[in-house]
Amino acid sequence: MTALTANFITDNGVTMIDGLATGVLLFVIALGLSLVFGVMDVLNLAHGAIYLLGAYVAVALLGGGTKMTLLAFGGAVLLAAIIGGFSGWGLSAMVRPVAHRGHLDQALLTLGIALVVSDLVAMKFGNDVRSIPAPAGLDGSATIFGQSYPVYRLVVIVVGGLLAVGALYVIERTRVGSLVRASVVDPQMVSALGVDTKRLVTGVFAAGAALAAAGGVIGGPILSAYPGLDNRVLLLGLVVVVIGGLGSVSGALVGALVIGQIETLGVSLLPDHASFLVFGAMGLVLLLRPQGLLGKKEATA
Amino acid sequence: MRATRTLPLAITVTLALSACGGSALSGGGGDGGSDDGKVKIALLVPQSGVYAPLGKDMEAGFRLYLEENDNKLGGKDVELTVVDEGAGPEDGVPAGTKLAQDESVDAVVGIVNSAVALGLTDSFTEAKKPLIITNAGANDITGKSASPYVWRTSFSNGEVGEAIGGHVAKEVGDGKVYLVGPDYAAGDEFLAGFKKSFVAGGGKIAGTQMTPFGKTTNFQPYLQKVRNAKPKAVFAFYAGAEAVTFVKQYDQLGLHEDIPFYATGFLTEGGALKAQGKSAEGIFTSLHYSSELDNDKNKTFVKAYTEANKVPPTVYSMQTYDAGAVLDKALAKGTGGDQIVEGLKSTGEVDSPRGPWSFSDKQGPDQTYYLRKVEKKGDAWTNVIESELTKPSS
Amino acid sequence: MKPKLSSALAVLSVLLLVAVPLVFPADIANTLSRVLALALLAVSLDLLVGVSGMPSLGHAAPFGVGAYAAALVARDTTSFAPVPLLVAVVAGGLFALLTGVLMVRTKGTYFLMLTLAIAELAHVLAQRWEGLTGGTNGLYGIPSLTLAPGGEPVTLAGVRYWWILLIFLIGFAIVWWTSRSMLGRSLRGLRDNEERMASIGYSTFWLKLAVYGIAGGVAGAAGSLWVAQNRFVSPEDLAFEVSAMALLAVVVGGRGRLWGAVLGAALVTIVRDDIGASLGGRGPLLLGLVFIAAVYLLPHGFAGTNWRQLFTRRPQEDKA
Repeated sequence: MTALTANFITDNGVTMIDGLATGVLLFVIALGLSLVFGVMDVLNLAHGAIYLLGAYVAVALLGGGTKMTLLAFGGAVLLAAIIGGFSGWGLSAMVRPVAHRGHLDQALLTLGIALVVSDLVAMKFGNDVRSIPAPAGLDGSATIFGQSYPVYRLVVIVVGGLLAVGALYVIERTRVGSLVRASVVDPQMVSALGVDTKRLVTGVFAAGAALAAAGGVIGGPILSAYPGLDNRVLLLGLVVVVIGGLGSVSGALVGALVIGQIETLGVSLLPDHASFLVFGAMGLVLLLRPQGLLGKKEATA
Repeated sequence: MRATRTLPLAITVTLALSACGGSALSGGGGDGGSDDGKVKIALLVPQSGVYAPLGKDMEAGFRLYLEENDNKLGGKDVELTVVDEGAGPEDGVPAGTKLAQDESVDAVVGIVNSAVALGLTDSFTEAKKPLIITNAGANDITGKSASPYVWRTSFSNGEVGEAIGGHVAKEVGDGKVYLVGPDYAAGDEFLAGFKKSFVAGGGKIAGTQMTPFGKTTNFQPYLQKVRNAKPKAVFAFYAGAEAVTFVKQYDQLGLHEDIPFYATGFLTEGGALKAQGKSAEGIFTSLHYSSELDNDKNKTFVKAYTEANKVPPTVYSMQTYDAGAVLDKALAKGTGGDQIVEGLKSTGEVDSPRGPWSFSDKQGPDQTYYLRKVEKKGDAWTNVIESELTKPSS
Repeated sequence: MKPKLSSALAVLSVLLLVAVPLVFPADIANTLSRVLALALLAVSLDLLVGVSGMPSLGHAAPFGVGAYAAALVARDTTSFAPVPLLVAVVAGGLFALLTGVLMVRTKGTYFLMLTLAIAELAHVLAQRWEGLTGGTNGLYGIPSLTLAPGGEPVTLAGVRYWWILLIFLIGFAIVWWTSRSMLGRSLRGLRDNEERMASIGYSTFWLKLAVYGIAGGVAGAAGSLWVAQNRFVSPEDLAFEVSAMALLAVVVGGRGRLWGAVLGAALVTIVRDDIGASLGGRGPLLLGLVFIAAVYLLPHGFAGTNWRQLFTRRPQEDKA
C-alpha cells in the first residue's frame, strides 16, 4: 500500500503541483468574472479578451525573446493591470445601458466586444504565436520529487497565492468588501444605505479586469500569447465560476483549484477522456448542485 | 403600412434587372473558358483565425511567382482575387462553394484546412473547376475522395510521418519511442504513417498520448507521462500554437536535455520556430522542404522571397509558389476547366525550390522528404538539412 | 398591424420567395438556401428564447445532431429527400428530449451554462467519434437529394432551393402554430411568471420539456436542410459559433417575433459568408461590430422596432 502511494507520488506529484499552479492562475483570472456577475448580474464574455490584452502588453514590452529582468517583468504586470483596469471601466460603461435587459443581450454585446478586441490585437501583433520569456533568475529549474520543474511555475503559485489571499482579505475583511458582498445579495439594500452602487460596480469591474490582465502577463511564460487563447481562457473561467458558485469569492477559489487539478491530474489519469473532463465536470455540478459548490442555495430560485 | 406599396415596385425592378442574368433552373457547370487572353485565379487562404500566418505565407508565395512572370500564367494576364478561408470549414466551405460556382473564376488555389478541402471536392467536381490544394494534407484528398478536378502540390499527412519512422527506428535501436500529438484527423494520419515505417523498421513504442486538439494549453501532465515511461526518444506531431507551447514546455520541464525529440516538420516551421527559439534546438523533423535546401532554384527563391517579405519562405509559401508554376504550364492549354485538367495531367517535372517533383497518378506530388535539424544560423533559428529520407511507399 | 394586411404580406413574401429561382442565377438560390436553413434554426431557437424565455447557448447541438443524422442516412441508406429529413427531425428531437430532461429543471444563468456545457460535449464527441462522424475532417461525399425513391439526384440549385423552402415553410408553420396554441400561451405565461403558472397548477417541467423537444426537432430539420445544401458536415456545425450566430439572428430579428428571426438569419449569413470573406481577414471584426450594433440599436429587433415612429420627425425617446 505504502509502496503504491509512493509510486503514485513519484508519478503524479509534480503533476499535482502543476495543478496547483494552474488553479492559482485560474483564480486570478476568474475572480473578476465571478464578482462582476455577483454585483452587476452581468455575464462578461469579454473577460478572455482582457486576459489576451494583458498577454500582449507583455509581448510588446518583453516579446523580443531576450532575457528580461525581474523589474521589467514586474513593470509589465503593473502596466497590464492598469490597462486592464481602464478596459474594465470602459466595459462597465458599455454594458450598463443593457444590464437590465437580461443575460442574452449582455452575452451578445460582450461577445461582440471580445471579437472586436481580439481582432484588433491580431491586426496590431499578427496572428503568429508570440512567446513571453520568464524573468531572468526565475527561468531555471528546481528539483521536486527527483524531477526537474520550472522555478517560474513555483513563483506563480506563490504570487498567485498572495493575490488570492489579498483578494479574500479585501472581500471578507474590509468595508469595501462587505459592501461588495452585500451588493451580491441585495443591490437595492446597499443603494438604500446611501452607497453609490454605480461607482462600486464600476470599481469591481475595473479591479476584476485588472486582475485578468495581470494574469495575462503572469501566465504568459507558460501559455504564450496568440489570437484564440482568449476563448480558451474565457471558457475555463466560466467553468471555474459556475463550479464554484456565481458571485462567490471563496467559491471561485475552490472552483479554480478543482479545475486546476482536473486539467492536470485528471487528464493524466483519464487521458482518453481528457477533452470531456472540464465540461463534464461543469455539467455534473450544474445538475447536482446548480448553485455551485459554495454558492448560496437561494441562487436557484 | 408603406412597405406594402413600395415593396412590389422594388421587387419588380429587381426582377427586371436580373432577368438577363440566367436563372437557377438552368444547368450550371459551363466551363466559362472564354479565351480572351485573361485568366482569373482565386486564392482561398486563411486571413483570419488560427491559420492566418499560413495564409499570409501562401499568398506571398503565389504573388512572388506572378511577379517573377510578369503577372502571366500560361501567357495569359492574371486577375487575382484573395478570399478568406477563415478558421475552419464553417467559414471555408461556403466561401469555396461560391468560388466553385462563380463562372468568372477559372481556377482556385490554396486551402489549409483538410475539412475545407474535403467539403469542397464535390462542388468543384460538379462545376468542373480545377482546385489546386497547396497545404491541406488529409490522405483522402488524393485517396478515397479523389476527383479529376482536385490536385495537390503539398503533401499527404501519412507520408510526412512515414518518411521519418524508419529513420527513428534505426536511431533508437533497442530503445522505445513515446508518441504524442493532437487528437484530430491529421494527428491520426501522422501517427499511422509514422508507425507504419517505424514498426516495419523494428521500432518499439513506449506509449501513445493524443491530447485534446486546439484545447490544450498546458502539456505538463502529458509530458509527465512521457517522463514516467522513460523512452529513448519522443516523436511529436504538433503544428501552430500547440507546437510552440509544446516545445517550450518540453524544454521548461527539463525533458529537452534528456530525451531526443523527433517530429513532423510543421512543428518547427516559420513563425512557430521563431517563437520557440532556443527551446527547439536540436529537434529532428521530416519535411519536403526547408529554406536551407542547397539547390540553385531554392537559392534564388529564398533570396527573392526574403527581399519582398523580410522573412525567409516557409513550406507553405513554397507549396503555393509551386501551384503558380504548375498552373503556368497547364494554362497554356486553355482556360476551360477540362482544358486546365488536361494541362495538369501533362505537367511533367516541376523545377521547384524543394527539388524536382512531378504529379503522381493520384494527383499529389511525388517528392523527396528530408531530415532536418534545428540549428542557429547567425541570429535566426533554421532547419538545417541533414539527409534525404527513404521515400514513403504510400 | 392589421391581421388582413399581415396575412397579405405573408402571402406576398412566400410568393416572392417561390419566384426566386425563376429569375435569379444559381448563386443567389444557393445563398438563400443557406439563409433559409439558418433561419429555420433561428426560428426554432426563438421558440425557446423569445416565446418561452429559455435562452440557450447550445442550440447548435440539436442542429448538428440532425445534420449528422441526415448526412449519414443520405450517404448510407437513401437520399430520397423526406427520409434524411424525418430521421434528422427525430434525431434532433430525441437529443433535445434526452438532454432536456436534465436541463429544463434549471433556469436563468444555470440553464444558459448547462446548454453551453452540453453543446461543447456534443462538439467534442463529434470530433472524437471518428467511426461515425469522420472526426475533424467531417463527413463528405454525401449524394445530392432525390425527389423520388431511387430517382435522379437534384443538381439544379433552384430545385434544391424549392425543397428547402418547402421544408422551411412547414417548419415555420409548426413553430408558429406552437407559439399560438394553448402550449404557446402557457409558455408565454411561463416566461413572464413561472411561479404563477406553477401555482395555478401547470406542470412547468412537462411544458418546458415539450417545447424543448419541439425546438430540437425543428433544429434537426434545419440541420438536414443545411446538409441538403452543403452536402458536408463537420464538428464545427455544432460549435459555439453556430449557436451564437443563431442567437444573433434572433436578437437582430426581434425576440418572440418569429418572422424577424428570418430577417436576422439573412443579415447574419450575408455579413459572415458574403461580405466577411472578402474583407482580407477582417471578417471577425465586422461580425463583432454587428453584434454590438444589434444590441445597442435594435433592442427589440427588426420586428419589434416601430420603424414609422423612428422615422417621423420627432422620434419618441427610446429606452435604449
